[in-house]
Amino acid sequence: MKKFLLLVVACVLVFTGCKKQDIKHSSDDVGSSVEIVAFTDEPSLRGGSEKDININTVYFDFDKSDLTSDSMETLKKNAAYLASNSDIKVVVEGHTDNRGTIEYNLSLGQRRALKVKEYYTQLGVVANRIATTSYGKEKPVDPENNELSWRKNRRAETRILVRQK
Amino acid sequence: MNLNIINKIMKNFFLFVFMILFFVDVVCAQSDVYLSLSLCATGKRSDIAIEYFTVICKNDNTTRFAKLLKEVIENDLIFSRYFNILQGVPENSELDFKERLLWWEKQGASVLLTGSVSGEDDNIILEVKMFDVITGETIWKQKYKKESLSYRYMAHEVSDEVVRRFTGEIGIARSKIVFVNNGTRFKELYIIDYDGYNLRRLTKDNKINILPKWSPDGEQIIYTSYLYNNPDLFVLSLTKNRRSIISKYQGLNVTGSFSPDGKKILLTLSRGRYPNLYLINTSGEILQRMTDGSCIDTSPSFAPNGQEIVFISDRPGYPQLYIMNIDGGNVRRLTTSGFCDSPVWSPRGDKIAFTMRQARGNYDLYVYDLPTAKITKLTNNQRNNENPTWSPDGRFVAFYSNRSGKGEVYIMAIDGSGIRKLAEVPGSSYTPSWSPVLDR
Repeated sequence: MKKFLLLVVACVLVFTGCKKQDIKHSSDDVGSSVEIVAFTDEPSLRGGSEKDININTVYFDFDKSDLTSDSMETLKKNAAYLASNSDIKVVVEGHTDNRGTIEYNLSLGQRRALKVKEYYTQLGVVANRIATTSYGKEKPVDPENNELSWRKNRRAETRILVRQK
Repeated sequence: MNLNIINKIMKNFFLFVFMILFFVDVVCAQSDVYLSLSLCATGKRSDIAIEYFTVICKNDNTTRFAKLLKEVIENDLIFSRYFNILQGVPENSELDFKERLLWWEKQGASVLLTGSVSGEDDNIILEVKMFDVITGETIWKQKYKKESLSYRYMAHEVSDEVVRRFTGEIGIARSKIVFVNNGTRFKELYIIDYDGYNLRRLTKDNKINILPKWSPDGEQIIYTSYLYNNPDLFVLSLTKNRRSIISKYQGLNVTGSFSPDGKKILLTLSRGRYPNLYLINTSGEILQRMTDGSCIDTSPSFAPNGQEIVFISDRPGYPQLYIMNIDGGNVRRLTTSGFCDSPVWSPRGDKIAFTMRQARGNYDLYVYDLPTAKITKLTNNQRNNENPTWSPDGRFVAFYSNRSGKGEVYIMAIDGSGIRKLAEVPGSSYTPSWSPVLDR
């Protein structure tokens, strides 16, 4: 019994230790086994996307998703451009270098995209104009296997959505 | 010394041994009679003799098939690692059956497998017989008709039956492997027999398709595709030759694992937040959120009992293996170091294969033995070795490696021995998934 209690406490610690500033409705989901979870997600922006010369890519350190001060400067300029072009919707694509496994890198790329989106919203861009996605290591700009190309590949691109007819 | 006591102990001991033997005997007697019960994954091999398959109503077709069928069966039995194949009696030998048996006995064979091929055109009939070399008795015989299936499938059926008769275990000769290959410069799905034959392309999307996984009934493959510029979860029905989208939330919908009953799917969704594990039904409705937090939780794999899952989480700061109950409780960390990923639960339930980053940056495969908590390294610093997948009998692992300089799929026994390349395929191959035994 004691062991069981300890385990329960451990589980709770593990879970709460993980939670940061998480989302309102999520507490209802935990433990409910068959309930259908409500859809409260970001916009689905999945037409074709393209680069806009006024929006720049930001880069990350190895295995990191924190924004560097350089990245923040770039994102501020991007956000200003988005503010003056309020009809543009964007997809933030997270990418990684080719070190590490496919699955982990997909998640790492997603976390990078999310960090960029969070910063955009802090800068006043409305969240429903921004979608996030990740390519992990699947879409390198430079396929070479050296420090220089790795640096180029660890990135988040803000791409504008191409309206579909 | 009190002899009496020793005597008593000895008596009890013998009684105990007797009871165990009796019990084992009863347990064994319940199942079919197998030729050798001592054979197991690591046990000694049986010596089986295979003679040239004879041809009834000789024509070019039957002669050709006699040769091909024998080759495929022999290959299967060698791959199975249950047997030593003995050869020797020359084709058209003048020896009669009794003399041949005697000859095989001298070579150390315990059983003899013979085959005869008849039929016309594509309607090939193969009759196989298995003899006890010592007594000359027929242990087993069966006729196989080709019908619509390929001759290779027919041969695999024979091999699986031979394995079953010897060991009581399922044979894996009728299994396939699905994997990703970039030979077209895009990432497409391909399917291939477990022995490296019958390579076939499944998708033609000119996009990125990744992480295919078989359904437990072998009729479907789930995978993640960028067909609509977002990693969505698709299902490909092999029987209906049709594919559809299951989960298409913005952001990650990354393939995880089918539940053993095939009714649920574990996957990684981001849904505008951090990647977490979810359980959905096969039409894509979310049944349950499995993890919740700002960590990366991904790469889930069901235990064969359907009650637990293994996954990776970077909650300690780097990705580690965790197990938890399907209701979200009893979370346990398995590994303590290294970047870990791609855990897969063995079909027998006692092991988890996974990949871990080494000090020099490459990835090697490991197997975690659950009863003993012992971790064994399977590959040794030959560049990267990732994405293990278990054979249906749990005795082999197929995996990705770029040891040759490009990505390829390899197969090895679970002790890390007997590594062979699955097939020579142009381009690079990734993320294999091994099917169950298929009956078609």
